[in-house]
Amino acid sequence: MNNLSRIFHKAIKVLSAILLTIYLTGSSFVEKDIFPEAGSMPVYGNWETFTRKDGLPADKAYCVRMDGDRVLVGTSAGLAVYENDEWRTYTVEDGLAHPGVLSIDVSELTGDVWIGTLGGLNRWSAGRFETFTQFNSGLANDVIYSVICDGKDVWVATGGGAGHYNTYTREWGIYTERNAPMHEPWTYGVCAGDKKIFIAAWGGGVIEYNTETEHFRDYIDPDGEMEIDLFADDGVVHDITTGVSHADGILWVATYFGLSRYDGAHWKGYFDHDSGLISNFINFLKADGPVVYLCTDLGLCGFNGETWVTYQRNENDKKGKILITNGSETKKLVASTSISHNFVIGVDFQGDEIWLATSKGVCRGERVK
Amino acid sequence: MRKYIKFLFIVVVLAVFGLLRIPVHKWSRQHVNYITAVDDHPLNCLSCHMYTQKDGVIAKLINADYLSPFNMAVSPDGSKLYVIAQEGNTLLVVGTETDKVIESIAVGERPHSVVIKSDGNSAFVSNQWADNVYEINLTSLKIVDTLKTGSGPAELVLSADEKFLYVVDSYSSEVSIIDLQTRTELKRLMAGNNPVAATLSPDRNQVYVTSRRTLAMPYGTPPMTELTVIDAATQRVKERKIFENAYIMENVAFTPSGDMAIATLIRPKNLIPAIQVERGWMMTHGIGIIEPGNDGRIIQLLLDEPNAYYSDPFDIVITPDGEKAFVTHSGVDFVTVIDLHAIRTLLAESTAEELDYYSNHLGISSRYVIKRIPTGANPKGLVLSPDGKYLYVAERLEDRIAVISTEEMETIKTIDLKGPSRITVARKGRRLLNNAGFTFQNQYACYTCHPDSHEDGLVYNMAGKDMGRNLANVQTLRDIGDIPPYKWNGKNSSIYKQDGMRFSTILTRTESFDFDELDALVAYIVTGIKNPPNLRYNPNGELTAAQKRGKTIFYRTHTNCGKEIPVENRCFTCHPPPFFTNMEMADVGTLSETDDPMLFDAPQLNNVYESAPYLHDGRSATLEELWTTFNDEDKHGVGNDMMKDQLNDLVEYLKSLRDAKYYKDNIETYKADINPE
Repeated sequence: MNNLSRIFHKAIKVLSAILLTIYLTGSSFVEKDIFPEAGSMPVYGNWETFTRKDGLPADKAYCVRMDGDRVLVGTSAGLAVYENDEWRTYTVEDGLAHPGVLSIDVSELTGDVWIGTLGGLNRWSAGRFETFTQFNSGLANDVIYSVICDGKDVWVATGGGAGHYNTYTREWGIYTERNAPMHEPWTYGVCAGDKKIFIAAWGGGVIEYNTETEHFRDYIDPDGEMEIDLFADDGVVHDITTGVSHADGILWVATYFGLSRYDGAHWKGYFDHDSGLISNFINFLKADGPVVYLCTDLGLCGFNGETWVTYQRNENDKKGKILITNGSETKKLVASTSISHNFVIGVDFQGDEIWLATSKGVCRGERVK
Repeated sequence: MRKYIKFLFIVVVLAVFGLLRIPVHKWSRQHVNYITAVDDHPLNCLSCHMYTQKDGVIAKLINADYLSPFNMAVSPDGSKLYVIAQEGNTLLVVGTETDKVIESIAVGERPHSVVIKSDGNSAFVSNQWADNVYEINLTSLKIVDTLKTGSGPAELVLSADEKFLYVVDSYSSEVSIIDLQTRTELKRLMAGNNPVAATLSPDRNQVYVTSRRTLAMPYGTPPMTELTVIDAATQRVKERKIFENAYIMENVAFTPSGDMAIATLIRPKNLIPAIQVERGWMMTHGIGIIEPGNDGRIIQLLLDEPNAYYSDPFDIVITPDGEKAFVTHSGVDFVTVIDLHAIRTLLAESTAEELDYYSNHLGISSRYVIKRIPTGANPKGLVLSPDGKYLYVAERLEDRIAVISTEEMETIKTIDLKGPSRITVARKGRRLLNNAGFTFQNQYACYTCHPDSHEDGLVYNMAGKDMGRNLANVQTLRDIGDIPPYKWNGKNSSIYKQDGMRFSTILTRTESFDFDELDALVAYIVTGIKNPPNLRYNPNGELTAAQKRGKTIFYRTHTNCGKEIPVENRCFTCHPPPFFTNMEMADVGTLSETDDPMLFDAPQLNNVYESAPYLHDGRSATLEELWTTFNDEDKHGVGNDMMKDQLNDLVEYLKSLRDAKYYKDNIETYKADINPE
């Protein structure tokens, strides 16, 4: 019965994708001509939304992480795992440190899942939850905004500084304004790349930690202006940073005031008024290869350095909106399905799927080919 | 005249001796009475002052370097037995036809296990106190490579294609996976707490890893011990099987068909007030069975009998026909033979409720235990000959291998490994410590709660005058000879007192050790129990940056605000090197409602990283909690002024503390730390 249901589900999805394509293009199905404006940027459609009535523990989702055949979602009421078309929830009773799950990463080495919550850090390994808090371990602070695995090392961005845990030596490190070039200990995001760790520090721009030399340096907004970006492309667009992601040698930095791109030599800023960025208010971002996805208060933006593709939900008719921007030209398309909510908080993408965590549900999109 | 002077001299000497004899004898009597807490211990200076010598010529003369065979492997053709001599630091090659040691290969510090490649040409030996594995060419009998591992490498398992080596890191509670082509450690997987043994499933798809200590459980809850299942294809942990109310899962073996994996285990009753020993109220001993084909069902069955306990089950092997299992009981010097057909029948016909009931049933073993075979002292590792006809038993405290016919179920011969022929006093004491013969119906040995002469990580309710009061966190026996008093309340001023009359009244509920036995036990505890090297946190004495900062905090005299810390509230006042205890009683604000009013003996901190949980009643799961959770009033040192990173540094320093000898050898350095002026 389960298999039949799965086959039926797949068939519906395929059919929906074909219909969506026809609907969007208004023409017969010709693969290479579906979204010529998008160029190499993938375009997603056939959005499917999951909420409490589908098995999520809460509609408010903070983060999403794809892990092979399963998807891990952090919500305000626990960890939700989507596997074999079913949701399963893990709560404090199961060993979760706190019901509010803000960030998730999976160790490529061990497969262990590291979960950042509002009340501590969990290692979830083959069903066993291990809890680290500021009381029982060297964890800097129990509010974990971001967690990443970098080989045997785990890094966290917390309300009390950035933290580093060496899973081999079990040594904890805490980085705050006391020992790193930060303005205050509040850190919001962390990522790894090119043997460096990048930390989004609230009010402190981006802190770079070189894992080989063990030295810090910071990247702050050179103009120091909190209201405007006075000089274009002079550095990170704002000192209040909300997320960082590194891929293909490029560091992407999210702020509530725009997006920054750093190639190791030059900074470039992107804003809603001079690019396809739908909103300067960026909650989170994730880059892979040349593409970065930006979670904003007005929808999801994808960008590969040339083309912007934005996904929004029209609250009036619940239909989706796709905006494809190249330079100053934007093409608007209407889609039959949409993302679950425009306030997007988390994103992950692998293969032909993209998953979003929003303030009203989780949604999955499929690449339209 | 000269004659008279000589005569006078002799008279004077005799008179002096005569006059002193009475007061000296009286003083000696009082001294011995104080030390032993009894008034009839023989006055024999040598028993206490000679056999407890740790260093020097006398120590060398009275002690001996034993081999202590531990784990073994057999060559694919069965002609050679490879024996780990745990304290000889050697791998012994024994001819099974000649019953003689052919070769002794020096290996690393405190070897633990050996595994042989299928072609029989090379072996891997884990060196538990060196954090590495030696590869040995079995043709040239030379060490050809050293592979770095995690902390405390124990059991070794080769992958099916023999391209990977799984190393159980017993101290860091991990499994290292080593790529034998690149000779590098690929990754470390989190295992249970204090894992020691592992085995490959018959289909070669999974590695089962057993552990000894309970997982960190909420305070006051029964132990739960993990058996970790690693998927060999993905090299990731696939499942964690939990054995409730059990611990000390020393070894595990699969039946050839793979229908069962069987591990040895102990079921402690540590949370029950120790008002009764009979009926298994302190410890029971048995096996844990996993049925991989039956949704991974987990069953526990005892190997004890209603009036006889078979303490400290250690190794297990299963015959190639899958019909019999053999288990060593290192606490009672027996091998138990289990009829696996009877086990299968029992499992097939029993409901889940019945099996749950059987886990505490002392009579159920009559259905499947078919023989008890006596062995020499402290049987440990087992290995079967390739044809399954012979079972080799490592008799650790005999320096001997017993050979048992698996058909006759009798010992047919023993192989002398040619260790020292005499039994020293300390060796005798070690046998006593490992043997359950002095507890009621052999229910437990000292070793049971002090595995590896350390501690088992549990909190016991050793009922005194009231039930449910004065919980006691088990303390280590390592390096304790020089740091009286004993017990958390410091009531026992000497090991004699602790292990003499108090031991019999509190723990054994049977007769106490006789004086010779007590002398021997004390000699072993004082001289023979070392701390392992702290390779994990302080391999060479060079502290990390965080440890150095932590050391400064440990020796600080002023708070962050510049206020002087009262002398009695400084870390190093109660915890000075070399043992990091001043051997005094103190109030650190940890007395609970269930404790009688008392002060607590300041515990030693050598290798403190491996002694969780902490405090007298084990309420502090981690070192951090000592100060974040249980030091509200700043009585356990001043800690509330510290920033979190300072506390982390202090904890890193505490974890770096090594055995006392290291600090004794560098005492001037540490005197300078305490008193910089």
